Amino acid sequence: MRFLAPIVGLLSLASTLLPTTLADSKLSKFTSLTAGSKLKGIVRLNDALYTELTTAPRNYAAVVLLTALDKRFSCTLCQEFQPEYELLAKSWIAKHKTSDGLFFGQLDFADAKATFQRLQLTTAPILYLFPPTTGDNVDVAHIGTPYQFDFTQHGTPAEAVAHLISQHTTYAPPVSRPFDYVKFGGMAGLLLVAITIVSIAFSIIKPIIYSRNLWAAISLIAVLLFTSGHMFNHIRHVPYVVNDGRGGISYVASGFSNQFGLETQIVAIVYALLAFATISLAMKTPRIENPTRQKAVILIWNAILLVGFSFLMNLFKQKNGSYPFFLPPLF
Amino acid sequence: MSSMEALLKDESTRNIRRLLKVVILITIAGAAVSSRLFSVIRFESIIHEFDPWFNFRASKYLIKNGFYNFWDWFDDRTWHPLGRVTGGTLYPGLMVTSGAIYHILRMLSMPVDIRNICVLLAPAFSGLTALATYLFTKEMKDESAGLLAAAFIGIAPGYISRSVAGSYDNEAIAIFLLMFTFYLWIKALKDGSAFWGALCALFYFYMVAAWGGYVFITNMIPLHAFVLVLMGRYSPRLYVAYTSWFALGTLGSMQIPFVGFLPIRSSEHMAALGVFGLLQLVGFVEFVRYQVPSRQFKTLLKALIFIVFALSSAVLVLLTVSGVIAPWSGRFYSLWDTGYAKIHIPIIASVSEHQPTAWPAFFFDLEMLIWLFPAGIYMCFSTLQDQHVFVIIYGIMASYFAGVMVRLMLTLTPVVCVSAAIALSNILDIYLSVKTPAAPAVGAPSVDERKEKKPRVNILSAGKDSIVGIYSKASRIAVVAAFSIYLFVFVLHCTWVTSNAYSSPSVVLASRLPDGSQHIIDDYREAYYWLRKNTPDDAKIMSWWDYGYQIGGMADRTTLVDNNTWNNTHIATVGKAMSSREEVAYPILRQHDVDYVLVIFGGLLGYSGDDINKFLWMIRIAEGVWPDEVKERDFFTPRGEYRVDDGATDTMKNSIMYKMSYYNYQSLFPAGQAQDRVRNAKLPAVGPTLSILDEAFTSENWIVRIYKVKDLDNLGRDHASAAAFDAGKKKSKRTKAGRGAQRKLRVV
Repeated sequence: MRFLAPIVGLLSLASTLLPTTLADSKLSKFTSLTAGSKLKGIVRLNDALYTELTTAPRNYAAVVLLTALDKRFSCTLCQEFQPEYELLAKSWIAKHKTSDGLFFGQLDFADAKATFQRLQLTTAPILYLFPPTTGDNVDVAHIGTPYQFDFTQHGTPAEAVAHLISQHTTYAPPVSRPFDYVKFGGMAGLLLVAITIVSIAFSIIKPIIYSRNLWAAISLIAVLLFTSGHMFNHIRHVPYVVNDGRGGISYVASGFSNQFGLETQIVAIVYALLAFATISLAMKTPRIENPTRQKAVILIWNAILLVGFSFLMNLFKQKNGSYPFFLPPLF
Repeated sequence: MSSMEALLKDESTRNIRRLLKVVILITIAGAAVSSRLFSVIRFESIIHEFDPWFNFRASKYLIKNGFYNFWDWFDDRTWHPLGRVTGGTLYPGLMVTSGAIYHILRMLSMPVDIRNICVLLAPAFSGLTALATYLFTKEMKDESAGLLAAAFIGIAPGYISRSVAGSYDNEAIAIFLLMFTFYLWIKALKDGSAFWGALCALFYFYMVAAWGGYVFITNMIPLHAFVLVLMGRYSPRLYVAYTSWFALGTLGSMQIPFVGFLPIRSSEHMAALGVFGLLQLVGFVEFVRYQVPSRQFKTLLKALIFIVFALSSAVLVLLTVSGVIAPWSGRFYSLWDTGYAKIHIPIIASVSEHQPTAWPAFFFDLEMLIWLFPAGIYMCFSTLQDQHVFVIIYGIMASYFAGVMVRLMLTLTPVVCVSAAIALSNILDIYLSVKTPAAPAVGAPSVDERKEKKPRVNILSAGKDSIVGIYSKASRIAVVAAFSIYLFVFVLHCTWVTSNAYSSPSVVLASRLPDGSQHIIDDYREAYYWLRKNTPDDAKIMSWWDYGYQIGGMADRTTLVDNNTWNNTHIATVGKAMSSREEVAYPILRQHDVDYVLVIFGGLLGYSGDDINKFLWMIRIAEGVWPDEVKERDFFTPRGEYRVDDGATDTMKNSIMYKMSYYNYQSLFPAGQAQDRVRNAKLPAVGPTLSILDEAFTSENWIVRIYKVKDLDNLGRDHASAAAFDAGKKKSKRTKAGRGAQRKLRVV
């Protein structure tokens, strides 16, 4: 690499001396293009403009989004990213009326098949950042190859692109998300409606709000959900069921600290069954006045309890192979 | 039968019953303590895991230097070169407790080694926890439920997991304090007594001194009070209990240096303050209500309450936004926004006990209690007194927290025990009763008619009619027998879990040889002892933060980072050094005065908790601080695999962590056969080379590997070319620096 350094140095020297006028003319051209663009802050590019914008003498930085917005390509990521990109460009142009040397370009596959072929691109969207090649802020390592934005890694794209730009150039574009009046209005309206309903129908709602049965049900459901591992599903996004590779489905995940959605629901139902059997035995059956009926009901609940608990231990044994205990009838 | 009845109910036998109760409680405490001694019997009286080693070291410091020096302790042997204001950044409750026990035993002329006190503190306190749970449950139902709850908490694995002998951690005493504070709160609320409220505040203070989880109490009690007010259950009893607890408890908690002014400046404590204000308002209105009978005035007051409450909430929000009140700290915030930690605080997400809980863990830790728990909650609804509201709220909140974080299973366990005891004791009350009801006479009013006679409002559907009793002896025997079997299996389960899962010190590992005999793997202590004996007293050891406390405690050497994790940047620095090339790592090591680097390697033994498996977290944490220099992406193959064999990426192979782990490893195997038994990978035939580090020590099973950082080259060369020269590969190129023999650090 060492012998390359002087060449690169020479190149950059040459590019600083000779074509400053060329770069300047490009700068003013794209500044006016940006100002006159329909999409606020974004220059719609074609093959020629793309080449012009991205080739070597640049005393500006250019961000180019290569995308395929047409419905035919069914590129959902392109569609999702588009408003984010527009937001970023809009935020920049709002603060910097004359672009100040940072351009946002957009190249649609429909307009520029040749460029896509030349760059051998088969996927979209792709976002390039071309740092300046002349001037004070030259990025020697990236004269030929631009920075590429990694779509797989980042959560909120506009901020992430802004971060990329501020990392590699001297520009730090802000992202100002407009206040969402529709959402705010909707929420306020809903709140008003709710307050009105409550205040009008309070006498009807009051017994429901103070209903012990309702609160008991809510509490039990919450407890059963949480203790059967629902939060794990929520956080880890586990699959509901999984194909077991032999044409069937497997609904019990292998491994002690792993589970599927259906599996937790089965566990929750078993817990609920066992809890209700206990409640019935403790609270309902002693209130039955008919001796024969009482005997039958106690017997049934007792059997349900045994079978349910046995099933639960069996299920646990599937998760933890070395578990030595069991209850009849399931071994 | 009648004699039995007389024994259980009669006034004259009260003393016998009391004696029986005491005997049962002592037996439970005995069972609780003895089931926690597996590890002491199997291994030896040794401090476990990681954090306990720091607590142990701090306790020794306290005993040696006295309380005031302990309070002002600045520790320059950790977090080199920053040091740590240890006295002001720890919860001193645990150390002070064992220090007090040590001095009391001394006074009784029983000189017990501080190590034994520390090892046995957790089991001893578990006996006290059983007592506190008994008292708490007694307030909920009756003494028999209390005894059941005490028995459950005594052996429930969910609590044993953090309180076996040797796990000398804050939780060891905190669960006792938690339950006792809650008991005192219920007592204060029931009696409306400022005395019990003050006692509650006193134990709350102790809890604040002992464990960061005190915030759970700080929010549970206000939540309970708030729900009671919403239910229209405000009473002067509540007012007295709450205000006395809040005022004294808050003042008390501010005496702990680590907590300081947090109770008035952080969001976690604002609920308590808000409910305090609300109670003043409600109290004032109730007072006026008795004086002024006017209806309009009441409406006006209601509006006033609403406005003041809304205004003060708005002020709170404003203060939070403007930054006067600190927002929720990340650790607590991540409980609500469960995706938060993974993105913003990888160091919290990296800890295995902060992962969400899968259902088998609940069953593993609580067995039958887990399904008795909802039943008990339902029964709390049937006799919905103020204290039952507490159990319900506690149950729901704790099960949510336990679902989000494995570690918080610990706070769930007590309420599960209480609730399950209520359910089970209800069943036993009914089915163990010797009274047989008379069969209903023919022509007696049917159930439906009676229902009409007694219309009860707002009662649970299961509790509408009055209890008749159980007619048949057979059904009684069937139910009692079934539950006896379940209880028996429960005891077996608890013992099995405790013995198999929770009794390993993790400092010493046990494995089985093919012939079934036990083989002890003692690499950690071997290595730490080597450090203690073979390195200078002021040597600085760099390792990943997990081992900081152990190095400090066992090897008594200075570390760069430890389990306190107070400084993320410093940890990221270590992560960066570990994940960088040698040329990049060397200046970092030199600038931090590192003499030795310690890595944990499990490849030979198949020990999966080693540094290569933790490596991704080091990279992530380092990337959080230096996104340009360390990139997680570079450690994955283009196909997204994390590999250590031939297919590993160059960044991976060049990182000093990889090199230190596999250095010379292939020499153990026939050529080309080197095998990593953790990741089931065949390693490259040519092992990595190291030029900035010298292998200093490798333990018997290769778990701990220690490297010495080379000094600067005498001829001013960089280490790579010096190593190449020594190997005879390259001719010495005489450079300017070489001629002057200037030793200088090259920063890349």
